[in-house]
Amino acid sequence: MSEGMNRRRFLTVLGATGGGAAALGACGVDPERSQKLIPYLVQPEDQVPGTATWYATTCRECPAGCGLHAKVREGRVIKLEGNPESPINGGRLCARGQAALEGVYNPDRLGDPLARGVQGKLERISWDDALAQLHAKLAAARGRIAFVTGNETGSFGDLVDEWTKAVGATHVTYEPFAFEALREGNRLAFGIDAVPWYDLASARYILSFGADFLDTWLSPVAYQNAFARAHGFTSGRDVTMAKSVFVGPRMFLTGMNADEWVAATPGTEGLLALALAAVIVEERLAPLPADAGRLHELLARHAPAAVAGAVGIDAPAIERLAREFAGAQGGVALAGGMATHYPNGAEIAAAVNILNYVAGAVGKTVRFGPNQGLARGTFRELTDLVTAMEAGKIAVLLVHGANPGHSLTGAFWQAWGKVAYKVSFSSDLDETASAADLVLPDLHPLEQWSDSRPRAGVWALQQPVMQPVAANARPAGDVLLTLAGKSGTFKDYLQTKWRPLAERHAHGKSFEEFWPELLQHGGLYVDVPRQWVRLGPQATELMREAPAPPRFAGEASDLVLIAFPSAALYDGRGANKPWLQELPDPVSKIAWHAWVELHPETAAKWSVTDGDFLLLQSPFGAVRAPVWITPAIRPDVLGVPIGQGHRAYGRYARDRSFNAFDLLPEAPNAYGGRTFAVRVAARTTGEHRFLASSEGDPRGVGAGEDIIKVLPRATADALAPTAHPFAEPAPPAYAAGALAGWAEEQRAGAALGNYAGKQPRWAMAIDLARCTGCSACVTACYAENNLPTVGEELVLRRRQMSWMRIERYWRGGEGRGAGEGGEPLHGVVTPMLCQQCEAAPCEPVCPVFAAYHTPDGLNGQVYNRCVGTRYCANNCPYKVRYFNWYNFAEAGGEWEAWPSPLDWQLNPDVTVREKGVMEKCTFCVQRIRGAQNRARLEDRTVLDGEIVPACAQSCPSEAIVFGDLHDKTSRVAQLAADPRGYHVFESLNTKPGITYLARVVDRGA
Amino acid sequence: MKPGPALAAIFHPPPTPGVLGVFGHLDATVEAIRELKRGHATFTVYSPLPRHELEEALDQPVSPVRMFTLVGGIAGCAIGAWLTLYMSYDWPVQVGGKTIGSIPPYVVIMFEMTVLFGALLSLFGVAFNVLLAARHQGTIAYDPRFTNDRFGIFVPAAAAEAGTVEALLKRCGAEEVRRG
Amino acid sequence: MTDTTTARPPERATGAMSYDYVTRTVAGTLGNPGRGYYTLLGTAVTLLGIGILCLLFLLRYGLGLAGYSMPTYWAVYITCFVFWVGIAHSGTLISAILFLFRSGWRTAVYRVAEVMTVFAVMTAGLFPLIHIGRQWFFYWLVPYPNERGLWPNFKSPLVWDEFAVGTYFTVSTVFLIMGLIPDIAAVRDVATGWRRKLYAVTALGWRGTNEQWRHYRPAYLYLAALATPLVLSVHSVVSWDFAMAQVPAWHETIFAPYFVAGAIYSGCAMVITLLVPLRKFFQLERIVTIRHFENLAKLCLLTGMIVCYAYCVEYFVAWYGGATPEREAFVYRAVGRFWWAGWTMNVCNAFLPWLLWFKKVRTNISALFVISIFVNVGMWMERFVIIAIHLAGEPFEPFVRAGYNATWADWGIMAGSFGWFFMWFLLFVKNFPAVSVAEVKEELAAPRRGAARHA
Repeated sequence: MSEGMNRRRFLTVLGATGGGAAALGACGVDPERSQKLIPYLVQPEDQVPGTATWYATTCRECPAGCGLHAKVREGRVIKLEGNPESPINGGRLCARGQAALEGVYNPDRLGDPLARGVQGKLERISWDDALAQLHAKLAAARGRIAFVTGNETGSFGDLVDEWTKAVGATHVTYEPFAFEALREGNRLAFGIDAVPWYDLASARYILSFGADFLDTWLSPVAYQNAFARAHGFTSGRDVTMAKSVFVGPRMFLTGMNADEWVAATPGTEGLLALALAAVIVEERLAPLPADAGRLHELLARHAPAAVAGAVGIDAPAIERLAREFAGAQGGVALAGGMATHYPNGAEIAAAVNILNYVAGAVGKTVRFGPNQGLARGTFRELTDLVTAMEAGKIAVLLVHGANPGHSLTGAFWQAWGKVAYKVSFSSDLDETASAADLVLPDLHPLEQWSDSRPRAGVWALQQPVMQPVAANARPAGDVLLTLAGKSGTFKDYLQTKWRPLAERHAHGKSFEEFWPELLQHGGLYVDVPRQWVRLGPQATELMREAPAPPRFAGEASDLVLIAFPSAALYDGRGANKPWLQELPDPVSKIAWHAWVELHPETAAKWSVTDGDFLLLQSPFGAVRAPVWITPAIRPDVLGVPIGQGHRAYGRYARDRSFNAFDLLPEAPNAYGGRTFAVRVAARTTGEHRFLASSEGDPRGVGAGEDIIKVLPRATADALAPTAHPFAEPAPPAYAAGALAGWAEEQRAGAALGNYAGKQPRWAMAIDLARCTGCSACVTACYAENNLPTVGEELVLRRRQMSWMRIERYWRGGEGRGAGEGGEPLHGVVTPMLCQQCEAAPCEPVCPVFAAYHTPDGLNGQVYNRCVGTRYCANNCPYKVRYFNWYNFAEAGGEWEAWPSPLDWQLNPDVTVREKGVMEKCTFCVQRIRGAQNRARLEDRTVLDGEIVPACAQSCPSEAIVFGDLHDKTSRVAQLAADPRGYHVFESLNTKPGITYLARVVDRGA
Repeated sequence: MKPGPALAAIFHPPPTPGVLGVFGHLDATVEAIRELKRGHATFTVYSPLPRHELEEALDQPVSPVRMFTLVGGIAGCAIGAWLTLYMSYDWPVQVGGKTIGSIPPYVVIMFEMTVLFGALLSLFGVAFNVLLAARHQGTIAYDPRFTNDRFGIFVPAAAAEAGTVEALLKRCGAEEVRRG
Repeated sequence: MTDTTTARPPERATGAMSYDYVTRTVAGTLGNPGRGYYTLLGTAVTLLGIGILCLLFLLRYGLGLAGYSMPTYWAVYITCFVFWVGIAHSGTLISAILFLFRSGWRTAVYRVAEVMTVFAVMTAGLFPLIHIGRQWFFYWLVPYPNERGLWPNFKSPLVWDEFAVGTYFTVSTVFLIMGLIPDIAAVRDVATGWRRKLYAVTALGWRGTNEQWRHYRPAYLYLAALATPLVLSVHSVVSWDFAMAQVPAWHETIFAPYFVAGAIYSGCAMVITLLVPLRKFFQLERIVTIRHFENLAKLCLLTGMIVCYAYCVEYFVAWYGGATPEREAFVYRAVGRFWWAGWTMNVCNAFLPWLLWFKKVRTNISALFVISIFVNVGMWMERFVIIAIHLAGEPFEPFVRAGYNATWADWGIMAGSFGWFFMWFLLFVKNFPAVSVAEVKEELAAPRRGAARHA
């Protein structure tokens, strides 16, 4: 329970409504504050103490716009899950989406409007004064006003547009990653300025040119789910698995999960695409569209032989790829991520479009029509604004939902100084807000009304799921309306926007009837007819001076550095959320810090090791970055993640590591986007730091061969349904009888009291052919089970408490990890969590029965009984037991994990553990018991699939299945019998409850 | 009756009249014991260390302490077995798929308890028997040298026959003889 | 306070010792302590203070202050526990087992060894309490009736430990007191002042009557008979803490004998370490002779050879057994990131004792002293390697293997344990006979008529 002002404010706000009473009912306010208690006389109609209420809303952490279900207990949102009805994410949610919770409860959130006082400090003022001030400034600056917003595809965007028109201001949309190249590429190829929807789920061959669609590209959850459906392997149905190839200088998460990684020279992806297209046309591998003939001259220039050198792979390989791609009947080629962040990004995108076109993918797997909902804004618009600011043409600048102060650290800042009056609507003091003259804190998206259009045909609604934590903050929409002198709140405005829409789709219902339905479903979802495209006029004009060596700013002798969005922090907006900071990067496994990636060869050349600092100098800036050596990047390329290095933005983000944006150019490139690759001069500084990584000693020996099993596609296809290639050899006949008898004796002797009778056996099946290591489950576990975040120092001491550990090993190649000769480098991942062993080594060694076996087959852990001998952890071969070294819940303590009001996010159904006790995954036992109770109340048995642990619930690729092993009809029982199934360390005879299904890799013929 | 005098009666019995002989030599002491064994029923021998010569000369019955040790050991073992098995079945908890009451691990506990109770009861046995003996002897004369380098014999005797005892001890080579 | 020291007879280079000489020499050790003694005691108490301070921090903030880091969930504290329990063992061996074997030379040294035993177990017993996460609930391991109807888990080696160490402490204490009674009586009869009162009470009315000896002797024998299997069992049980777990390099059948041998090895070394200075300060040269040291050295040699053999067998089985994790574990011990610890242990425990094959070394006090120190260090390191290093290099899960660095909290409390031990030891030797009076006399010829008269 939180202390002080926050709670008081919370009470006073909620006091009016019944929600407050509910909250009090659960939190038990201590006596001296009891005069603040509102007696629970009026039962709030939508809340029963101890029972969660779910609200459907929309995630605003990235432009994907996934549907949310917000779990609210006693007036507080405590968990975010995907909205199963949303056509975007179908009930799944990524780590960033779930961490939105820590945005609501962020301890550094702004409560009151701030204005720059006489000494130039930001000071609290009242809303009336603030608005009066703003009114005056706006009136004075008429015509010289600019409004910068983030990606706003809904009513708020419309409102801003209307208002800016009214006051003669310019409205600029700014997203650091705005996919300009894709739009431009599509315009070049097809004359259509939109980003299509890619039907990965039904693709038979996924060829990605830099598009990191598992991580940060467009709509990660949607595409990961589709990828799993296409690329996942189902025994016995060999046609199911689509091969996946990743092209790019760095092996992103997508590359790790691809069957093949083509480490193309940066900027030559387009050449490769055209070469593939050339082969397809040349060999007539696909029925060519009528107008494909126009491409002949273009493709002729890009024959494999011509481009192979520039790309860096040999011509036969290109031909093989082309044949595979065309032969797959329904492949899809994606251009995105790094490939679209080069100076020639648009051309690359266009080239990939042409590949899709000649392969007949356009219209099938590449669908225009249900286009990605992106605001029109481009980077060039912003740079134009900067020039205007520089020229003093802007008197008042308003910023909402964007933080250019972090992503544009050069020219923008000088221009910023030239603007007389800057206004920020940020709800945290980020770089932009703290440099503004007036801050009008907006509510968190989870606290206010709004909507968005993530995709054509998807109108996603956003409703407040709880009373504002920052009570004195106001929705920016309301503020704008007040400024515009309009009556009513933003909610009214929103509804007026929705009325026409409702009329079209309400099927005769009145709006008042229809609105609650919309809220229930989280919005309105309709099918959009696909739109047919033909080659545009410029299509043939691509890459005249081919093969075009890409030009990067900087000395030609220097290495190329690519800056990519961090999986957890995206463009940096996640940096103030401890869950995301402590989430190990899916590829590097590094938390709380940024790094620069080096290939072992480069590292050897410069004689640096992990953690040595490099001073990276580009024409635009310099940063000091610690080295992380990885085989998964080209030797002639350096990589840095974007997202760290904030100079403001709260305690978790401030002064942490370096800001990769410092190295990047701030001028728009040919297609009006921003270039995320430059040449940098690197030299060692002699400094060194340990990187807080969840990966232990990088000792090569046995890089997890017993933990992660991989089957070649051919072998997997050949497996008979009854085969068990990974099973331990059966005991010899003479021993079998004795062993069986002994086991029976043991079981009989153990079946006493509660253990007698028929019981379920809770178990899990994890399909490594689907798991991508995206780590959404990790954050889900933090949220569901009240796991403390311990901070960088303790992660360095390997004391992170993550019950779900995503292990990543390199295989093949000659990097780290066991080098199986000849095999190309690939990364393998697996979630490692408590295996809930039947013969658990951890249990018998506990002197006080704190670790014991529950009748339904869980390894129970009684926190109240645990005295902390840690013997169980020593004896656990899976090393999935975590110890509370400090009291992470101590308010104001040095290791406090939940400074108020972060503690409001804690799940009331789960104990917050004390210092000195052991803790571990329990398959979300609180959910199991909940479902069992519900079933008992409804006088029925628990249904298969009714119980879903947090990790399984969030998993975007549906790799985790939970259920009762004793029920032979259950999905988990069937998967456990799968030929690919195996138990980790089966030879130890711990009889784990988790069956892993071996990953399948398609290395081609 | 108040406890004070009662305890005094146990730990400080009334003084017994008799003759105390101090010997400097082991063989002399042994000789004196042999002499006394003929006539005098009870007498007490002091020695700074256990000597088998003295034991042979005295040839006393075997100490009952061994029974204490035996009983203690058996009791300990039983208690160990009861402790482990009763507590296992009183609160049956399954760990590692093992039987609730599995003997092998409990043997350790039984063994330790055997040793523990055996040792404690031996200690008690000594205390008990020695105190009992002291109770029979009553308070008798003693000389500090007996824990250093002198042997001693105390013969309870009424004033009447004290003379003859003195003579006997002297004859056997007592360095010093006095009445106590 | 005047004392018997003045009455000490002139030292005689030759000739048999008299009973009187023994009594007075031993009593002489109980005189007024000098400055040296107080310096030592002061140091011990200071160390103890440091330990207590660190412990208070640990209790307030949690075990995080110590160097633990996953997967090294046990480290210095458990190492110290095993170390001290090990030290204890030789004491019981010398006093009980050698008593059963009737080897006379033990009489002069067994008291020191026994005292060491009791205080070492006392020290060891603290560590399990210190190292658990919620120290204030340690008593949950004890099977006491409670309203919740909860009992401990007798399948857990930790509970065996608790019973084994508890029994060991009780029995060795009883054994020590039994042996002390006649000697306290002896010094009682020559002491004056407050010491006389003290001994009068603690002698429990011992006078050496035939009745007392009659019951005393068998009882002592039975205690010895009970203590003998006990001493073998205790360290076996301690070793099972590890052998019962399936951590590679823990899960070994040879652990029980291997640990017992190691324990006696380290114990004998510690006896030598303690006896050498003691003999000097208390001028016991004639009672504790070179012969005694040589015999102790022989014990060291024997157990040292067993330990050396055990090391070899461990490596051999790791290779021959063919279990990959086991193999990896021993590769890690030899050349892993903690190779230095492994080799310190090998050199000090397995190589050094070979010197004891030479009589020259065995009979050279200072050489023995140096070797004994090395053995102590080596044996501590052995436990550290087995516990901390093999956890850090746990081969099953390559992803969590990690380094380990002990912190001030580890070293502070370890130092405190030494302070605690030596404080008690020093207090004892100045206040109670550190050499048995009665039993030493048993080794001398009894005075007989005709034999030369002595003063």
